[in-house]
Amino acid sequence: MLFHPAVMALLLADALSLVLLLPAGVFAVRLLRHWDLKSGSARQINLERQTYLIATVLGFVFLVQILSLLLLVFTADRLAVQFVGAMCAVGTFNVNPFGFPALFLKLALFFLAATWLFMDHVDNRAPDYPLTRVKYALLLVVLPVATLAALVQLRYFLDLRADVITSCCGSLFTGSKTVTAELAQMPPLPAMIGFYVAAGAVVLAGLHYLWHRRGALVFSGLSAVAFPVAIAAVIAFLSLYIYEHPHHHCPFCLLKAEYGYVGYLVYLPLFVGSALGMALGVTLPFAARAATLRPVMERVMPRVVATATGLFFLLIMLVAWFSWRSNLVLL
Amino acid sequence: MDAFIELRGVRKAWNEGLPNQFWAVDGIDLDLARGCVTLLTGPSGSGKTTLLTLLGALSRPTEGRVRLAGEDVSSLPERFLTERRRHNFGFVFQQFNLIRGLSVLENVMLPAYPLAPPHGELRARALQLLRELGLEHRSEARVEWLSGGEAQRAAIARALINDPPVIIADEPTANLDTHLSMAFLAIVERLKAQGRTVILSSHDALVSEAPVVDRIVSLRDGKVVG
Repeated sequence: MLFHPAVMALLLADALSLVLLLPAGVFAVRLLRHWDLKSGSARQINLERQTYLIATVLGFVFLVQILSLLLLVFTADRLAVQFVGAMCAVGTFNVNPFGFPALFLKLALFFLAATWLFMDHVDNRAPDYPLTRVKYALLLVVLPVATLAALVQLRYFLDLRADVITSCCGSLFTGSKTVTAELAQMPPLPAMIGFYVAAGAVVLAGLHYLWHRRGALVFSGLSAVAFPVAIAAVIAFLSLYIYEHPHHHCPFCLLKAEYGYVGYLVYLPLFVGSALGMALGVTLPFAARAATLRPVMERVMPRVVATATGLFFLLIMLVAWFSWRSNLVLL
Repeated sequence: MDAFIELRGVRKAWNEGLPNQFWAVDGIDLDLARGCVTLLTGPSGSGKTTLLTLLGALSRPTEGRVRLAGEDVSSLPERFLTERRRHNFGFVFQQFNLIRGLSVLENVMLPAYPLAPPHGELRARALQLLRELGLEHRSEARVEWLSGGEAQRAAIARALINDPPVIIADEPTANLDTHLSMAFLAIVERLKAQGRTVILSSHDALVSEAPVVDRIVSLRDGKVVG
């Protein structure tokens, strides 16, 4: 399996990311110890020059990491045909114990990377770089997650054996005493109410912010809450409507061609909207301490909130549309 | 008269942290007013060029504060410093630093590209500057074909393309004969009449004795001595 082009691309992307991230981590430690923008010393000027380069490199690394989450899921789905018992990405991830941990670590990396990129975007627009220390401290959090994600993913692909009989998504979402099974067994009505309330609250909080320029932190908190609620909603009822089958709860089969790749349509606004909201929420408390960031945030925040609000609104519309046009009657 | 550029306790070290570290500029307080012609003078190694780079925001002081139009620029990161420099300063370097292979017109237009003005407007402005400096007929010539005096006028036109309030010239007459040096001083006179601040560094007596110079700042070993 290692020589599957997508697997090679994923491993190469992770290897290159680590090669670039590890020196950046060393630089981050140096920067945290010596950064003093008031100083005109040669060391400070060198740190500033290096931070331009390193931030540019990290921008590419994190974009690659964001895309690699998509590629990992897509690859797992495509590899399903190679394993007995696998119907979709779930079966591929279930081939060995490292599949789902690799996915969850990539997911964590996705949100961390989005936060870092947002922080960097904001920081570069203030003349005193007030978030530089924070973003390099965050890099030191990202680094072990990225390393672990790369190692777990490598182990996962190394242990992919075609002779393993794996279990399909049906076993994960029915019967067994797992969180996913519990979610799948959730009655549709409370799941629907939960989803529309959570996503609707994000949209309302976003509109409130855009109207009154207040409540950005509430918006961020709500978008962080809406993410797991929406995932639960996909498992509990949206998947049923799309598959038009009362017992097929898999959130991964949505990504398959036979369902028109609708999963990408649903997950894209959910992931991007949540990531924007969360990144804003993490950045806000630090940005509030820097007077020079106020005009920057006044420019950036409405755009970010408007985008995330729009994406959550799109998500609500999509979920409502798929529920309405389905031939399955749940309620 | 209000100070356009203020220096307070400014020091600049080269080779910092190395055994051969030295203070090229060592504790300078200086106020430069708008619309004045200031000459920095002193022997070689006295710190004239380093002081010019500090005044022109080409480098940051190791210690002390530099204020430009009231804004402290001494701790601005390079990205922001570039922006301030682009809008406030025009530089004429000792060796002119024109880009070989490009025409006079292209050299003059070059510093304006980051500001992205309409091309036609920029070209017209560049030609106008070349006309004012008597160099329009050489606008399409490559800069390596220019004489010393022409190269200097091309460099002055380039320094003026973004219409900066301050012109900085480092040893502008060092490579020119007396006739061309006089022509340069006539241009400085015109720049002063336009209300621009001009900062020159030179140890040429012709410049220091020129009536256009309002103030002479003498340097020795990185310190102001007169």
